[in-house]
Amino acid sequence: MIRRMNLLASMHNTLLRWGRGVLGAWGAWWQVLLIGAEIVVLSLSPSSYDDPEERHAIMAHLYRASAPLLTWFLVLSALVSLVLIRIVVATALSYGLSQYALEVLVRTLVLELIPLYAALFVAVRYTMPESQRIRRLLSDEHRRGLRRPRQQLLRLDMLPRALAGVFSVLLLAALSCFIALVLTYLNVYGFSPWALADYNRSVGSVFSPAVSLIFGLKTLFFSLAVAFVPMAASAQPDAGGGFARRSDITEFARLLSVILLLEVVSLMGNYY
Amino acid sequence: MNPTNPQGPVPDPVPPVNNLEVKAALLLLLLLTLIVGSALYVMYARGAFERTQRLVLMSDDSEGVVAGMDMTFAGFAIGKVAQLELAEDGNVRILVDVPTKDAKWLRSSSIFTMEKALVGGTKIRAYSGVLSDPPLEDGAVRQVLRGDAAAEIPKLVAQVRDLLDNLNNMTGEDAPLQQSLANLQLATDRLKGPQGAMGLLLGNDDDAKQLAKTLGNANAVLARTDGLVKRLDSLVVNADRQVFGQDPGGSGNATGGGLVGDARTTVQQLNGLLGEARGSLTKLDTLLVDAQGIASNTREATADLGALRSDVDASLRKVDALINDLNRKWPFARETEIKLP
Repeated sequence: MIRRMNLLASMHNTLLRWGRGVLGAWGAWWQVLLIGAEIVVLSLSPSSYDDPEERHAIMAHLYRASAPLLTWFLVLSALVSLVLIRIVVATALSYGLSQYALEVLVRTLVLELIPLYAALFVAVRYTMPESQRIRRLLSDEHRRGLRRPRQQLLRLDMLPRALAGVFSVLLLAALSCFIALVLTYLNVYGFSPWALADYNRSVGSVFSPAVSLIFGLKTLFFSLAVAFVPMAASAQPDAGGGFARRSDITEFARLLSVILLLEVVSLMGNYY
Repeated sequence: MNPTNPQGPVPDPVPPVNNLEVKAALLLLLLLTLIVGSALYVMYARGAFERTQRLVLMSDDSEGVVAGMDMTFAGFAIGKVAQLELAEDGNVRILVDVPTKDAKWLRSSSIFTMEKALVGGTKIRAYSGVLSDPPLEDGAVRQVLRGDAAAEIPKLVAQVRDLLDNLNNMTGEDAPLQQSLANLQLATDRLKGPQGAMGLLLGNDDDAKQLAKTLGNANAVLARTDGLVKRLDSLVVNADRQVFGQDPGGSGNATGGGLVGDARTTVQQLNGLLGEARGSLTKLDTLLVDAQGIASNTREATADLGALRSDVDASLRKVDALINDLNRKWPFARETEIKLP
């Protein structure tokens, strides 16, 4: 009898824990969507840019999110692109399929890899540290018994960082794609300008309207995910109402799951 | 203590940036340029700014053909598949956009092929044999010739299967080839036996001995035949001598004395005789001509004789009548009495 009661109690506790976990996860994802929507609304409303101080803050974050990252990201991106280009070109040549090398390179590098690692780079170097900073401040204020109004948090703290994150992802991805296309041409054809027409035709054949649209939307949603997911996590209070420091890995895993989901959706759109 | 709401944004630990607005504007401008430039580049690369003319290729199957794939001429891409659609008769209409600057390679006599290789996609190719023909008009409809390497594989596999079946039948346990090989083995065993090939050919030893005996007899017959041939040879020599008069040296000249020499002189004499006979006949011929003239003269004389005779007859009748008249008028008769019955 006692054993049966213990079993029931244990089952009850398990279900309770599981239910709380599901509710917590649901709440966290809802918070991401809600804050994301609020930031989008704020970014689209002209009143957000009325105050010169706010404009200045946005510009400062735009600059700080992209300029310091630019050099090293472009160097790393060029290196990775070069390695991949050499591998693909050499493999295609060895199998006698060099006519497909260009298409493979454009599809793998430009369409899939560069937006992905641009988004991850910006997340790791800018939006996640900034969201930790916001959370630390909220935690301090919470300990001092202060409470920052939500509108102020969204408008003064999150909007500039989110816009800067979106801008940075788009800029880095665009620059990196340009460099990758130039490197691909140089690797395949050398410094001769006579293959430009052929190269343009090959690149153009990859970028059909549907593929271009999916590529643009994917990059945009990557940048939104990089901007919103860490911001939303920073503003989410703990169970006790405080803002204790959270593990970077947990935040990164959540961001990665969103980015992978977007990647899968884009792949389905491109190849199904 | 009532909590007071904090004012201002989260403090930034980073020092302020000089000329921030210019730098931010430059970055924004860079991003805008990149995005607009990419869009324009993709449109240019896809030929959005080129003037094109339409070519419609008809095929019964559009497998492997996708919108956006190239049509090549001599390895150069000169057109792009814009659209695929099904015609009313169930055929496939492949609409190809050919840039106007490349349309000169397509002529009214151009041939279009669609090839499907084992590796890689389907390829549409254009061939223009006579470049002096009139150019292909806009919106031209042409039949595309299809070649499919993969479609040959099932046929090839079926043929290989038939071949293997035949091979299996040939190499089976009870196959004729196996039986032939076994018989060959038996034959070679007998070849290696004491009777050798003879035993193999005749089947048993008695027959082989009989054959050996027959061979001995045949040898004797051959020896006798040899003697006979020698005698026949001397007979022929004698006949030669008799007929052609050959000397024993055998020089081959018919020196006379032989049957042939006699015959030759006889023929010469006969020739002379015939010449003389021909002269006699000529004379006879003239004689006959003369005789013919005589005969014709005689015929004429005969005709004159007929007239003469009739004249003579008439004269005689007149003489007879005259005599009768004389007799009547002048009684020369000795007996003039009239006897009465």
